[in-house]
Amino acid sequence: MRDAYIIGAGQTPFGSMPEESYRSLFDHAVSEAVDSVDHGIDTDAIDEAVVGSLGVGGRQLGLSGPAATEHAGLHGIPSVRVENACAASGYAVRQAVQAVKSGMADVALAGGVEVMTDMSSDVTKYWLGVSGETEWERLTGTTFSGVYAQMASAYLREYEASEEHLSMVAVKNHRNGAKNPKAHLGFECSLEDAASAPVVADPLNLYHCCPTSDGAAVALVASADVVEQYTDDPIRVAGVGAASDRVGLFQRDSYTAVSASEAAATTAYDRAGVVPDDLDFAEVHDCFTIAELLAYEDLGFCDRGEAPQLLEQGTTEADGAMPVNLSGGLKSKGHPIGATGAGQIVEAFKQLTGRAADRQLAAPKYGLTHNVGGSGGSAVVHILEREAAR
Amino acid sequence: MTASGLAAIGAYAPRLRIDAAEFEAAWGRFDAAGIDAKAVPDADEDAVTMGVEAARRALTAADASGTDVAHLAFATTTPPMAEEDLAARLCSILNVPDDAKTQTMTGSTHTGAQALDATMDGGPFGDGIGLVIVSDCPRGDPDSEVEHAAGAGSVALVVDDDGPGAVVDRASHTEAYPGTRFRTGGDDRTTGLGVTQYDREAFITTLGSAAERLAVPIDDLDAAAVQSPDGKLPYRATGALGVDAETIAAADTVSTLGDTGAASAFLGAATAFADDAERVLIAAYGSGASATLFVATGPVPVETALDGAVSLSYAEYLRRRGEITRDEPEGGGAYVSVPSWQRTIPQRHRLVAGRCVACGALNFPPTGACNDCHERTGDFEAVELPGTGTVAAVTTIEQGGAPPEFVAQQSSSGEFDSAIVALDGPSGEQTVSVPAQVLDTTDEVTIDTPVVLTTRRIYTQEGVIRYGFKAQVASQRR
Repeated sequence: MRDAYIIGAGQTPFGSMPEESYRSLFDHAVSEAVDSVDHGIDTDAIDEAVVGSLGVGGRQLGLSGPAATEHAGLHGIPSVRVENACAASGYAVRQAVQAVKSGMADVALAGGVEVMTDMSSDVTKYWLGVSGETEWERLTGTTFSGVYAQMASAYLREYEASEEHLSMVAVKNHRNGAKNPKAHLGFECSLEDAASAPVVADPLNLYHCCPTSDGAAVALVASADVVEQYTDDPIRVAGVGAASDRVGLFQRDSYTAVSASEAAATTAYDRAGVVPDDLDFAEVHDCFTIAELLAYEDLGFCDRGEAPQLLEQGTTEADGAMPVNLSGGLKSKGHPIGATGAGQIVEAFKQLTGRAADRQLAAPKYGLTHNVGGSGGSAVVHILEREAAR
Repeated sequence: MTASGLAAIGAYAPRLRIDAAEFEAAWGRFDAAGIDAKAVPDADEDAVTMGVEAARRALTAADASGTDVAHLAFATTTPPMAEEDLAARLCSILNVPDDAKTQTMTGSTHTGAQALDATMDGGPFGDGIGLVIVSDCPRGDPDSEVEHAAGAGSVALVVDDDGPGAVVDRASHTEAYPGTRFRTGGDDRTTGLGVTQYDREAFITTLGSAAERLAVPIDDLDAAAVQSPDGKLPYRATGALGVDAETIAAADTVSTLGDTGAASAFLGAATAFADDAERVLIAAYGSGASATLFVATGPVPVETALDGAVSLSYAEYLRRRGEITRDEPEGGGAYVSVPSWQRTIPQRHRLVAGRCVACGALNFPPTGACNDCHERTGDFEAVELPGTGTVAAVTTIEQGGAPPEFVAQQSSSGEFDSAIVALDGPSGEQTVSVPAQVLDTTDEVTIDTPVVLTTRRIYTQEGVIRYGFKAQVASQRR
């Protein structure tokens, strides 16, 4: 199959934007993605679109793909919404890559959008739990904070890890996010702040949880046959991996690993022909800070139980050997559910094309994005590669 | 033809308690004479769940199981659903055969006696048993005498042909005395007109007239368990019943549990037999008015869980009563349709797991591809789990962390623990994991904490109460 490339990517700020609708947010993200294409692109060249969204709040739950793309002037093209909870737009990118690689499209748009801050807190809580296992898990009174807290309880019991490590992830990601003008919570926080926040679901406190955000993100995927029309600095989708698991945590093989992430990463590394050491940075799914610790291990950055040491050693800091969540991650950049996966591609594209401003790495070649649905019922991993030598 | 053997009694009262002093501090007075403390149902308890607790203990004491039950009668003045045969849910939870005769009885505090009467008349049971479940948690307006007295408790009596205990005589009396204690249609609060002399007359006349009809003498009693809407009224009937105050006091439960409504006299009998009483008078009375007396002889095996464990302040009490709490917010909760809930009743009520016919792994719930080998055999061998296990992962859901359908529970009872429990398989060699809330406990719940499952209200949706399992820290089971 022919290769697929990211030729442009853009996003709205993530945050609370009562003046915006899901359509206007999506439209803004399309504009930024289109504007980011080196040689420019006429939107008529876009053959199809895949839009990730959970549909928080209901809104346009049916046909939200066409509703968003038609509003953005992408008239007439095939458009579909994909739903895989928080991994919705990670999967949208994967679908677009598939369309391009298969030859059905030369240019495909993958995006995501979510509006989460215009509802009462009760209604928001209703939607936050809809991707948990509904008939059993949720009926023990949990939303995702509770389920990830259960994973944290098991992790802290099994390994040499403490609540301080959960707070350290927050401090690191806020430090990164403070350099991202698009971040929802773009402020730094101290370890003391992070450790002393009110408890949400023991051992997770407020600072161990990402915010709920509004936002949209879009990536443009082009085939090897047309990529030169759009850029001289192509970013190749070197590998994609995706996997599923039981939706309810109680039915999984492990509470201290996200098997779907591990399987998705294995596939992505294999397809890309790289190993974790080859990566220059990663954007991982830190919906709760425990999730970032699990991701280090699931993605092979370290062995099981060693994530706290990786953190203590500063390996995943912006100036470490494997910077993780330079964008601020879900924790600081924000988490508009359906836009998160595409938003990770935006950060990777910016880093690889040298557009990440204050948080720019020196000449990265490989970047990984890791997007998880629910508490691990689905996961998708992309490895992007800058082909040109810098 | 009747069955008059009493094989066992089980009794239960919620672990939450409030002292009379808390009422005095709040109101400057306490209107329920002779009550020192009373039992308070938790937010997920009601007459059905308390009835299950008593029934399981009675069956254990009788060395019987739900499958032995040929006749089940459920009596309460506080049915959680005003219309619906709640005996059907009790049968399901207790694994009573579907050809058992059932009765759901309500209407007055005399209904427990009516249920025992009817069950005895449903015998003989041969190898089977009759099960009478009397469970009640009355309530009134916050400043009323009824509410000050209102407690909670349940009793279950296993009736069979042989005993070891027996009901050796019984007699009833019914006479119209309207307005002594009543609840109008659609109301959940019991009230009364408070015409003291009239109320007493109804009580004494019906009980005394029933006593005159007894064939056996009642002069050799170890205890007289007399209906106790408060701690004073039963002693007004000493003359009419021909028993002394000491004999009535020997079966006292009202002073520590409060007014337990339909369960009142039977709880008294349970404690008396637990104290090795040989001969006990059970004197049940209900407004309207009617009364039934049973003369019961022991020994009767008894298993009880009547001790309190947590004392509430008056403000906490108001929260548990739902007086100052919020309901489920707009926007709804996770929708589980009633038919889809009904399909999972074997799991929710009886912990029916499935053994994969391909690999032998236990699955819960037993549907779809095997959770272990992922084979889609479409078939699981049904396996009833014993309900014991250990915590494998746990969190405490604080204010703000619960989904909307649990907001009302959290508003009443506060933070709660939610866990994944590794449940023991039938022979202990395998486990299978289930998610479960952990009942409020004074101990910290951590990974490896042993638990036992019990039945509680999970939530209410579309007006239909959903019962299922919750975990209880094993060391806290009374």
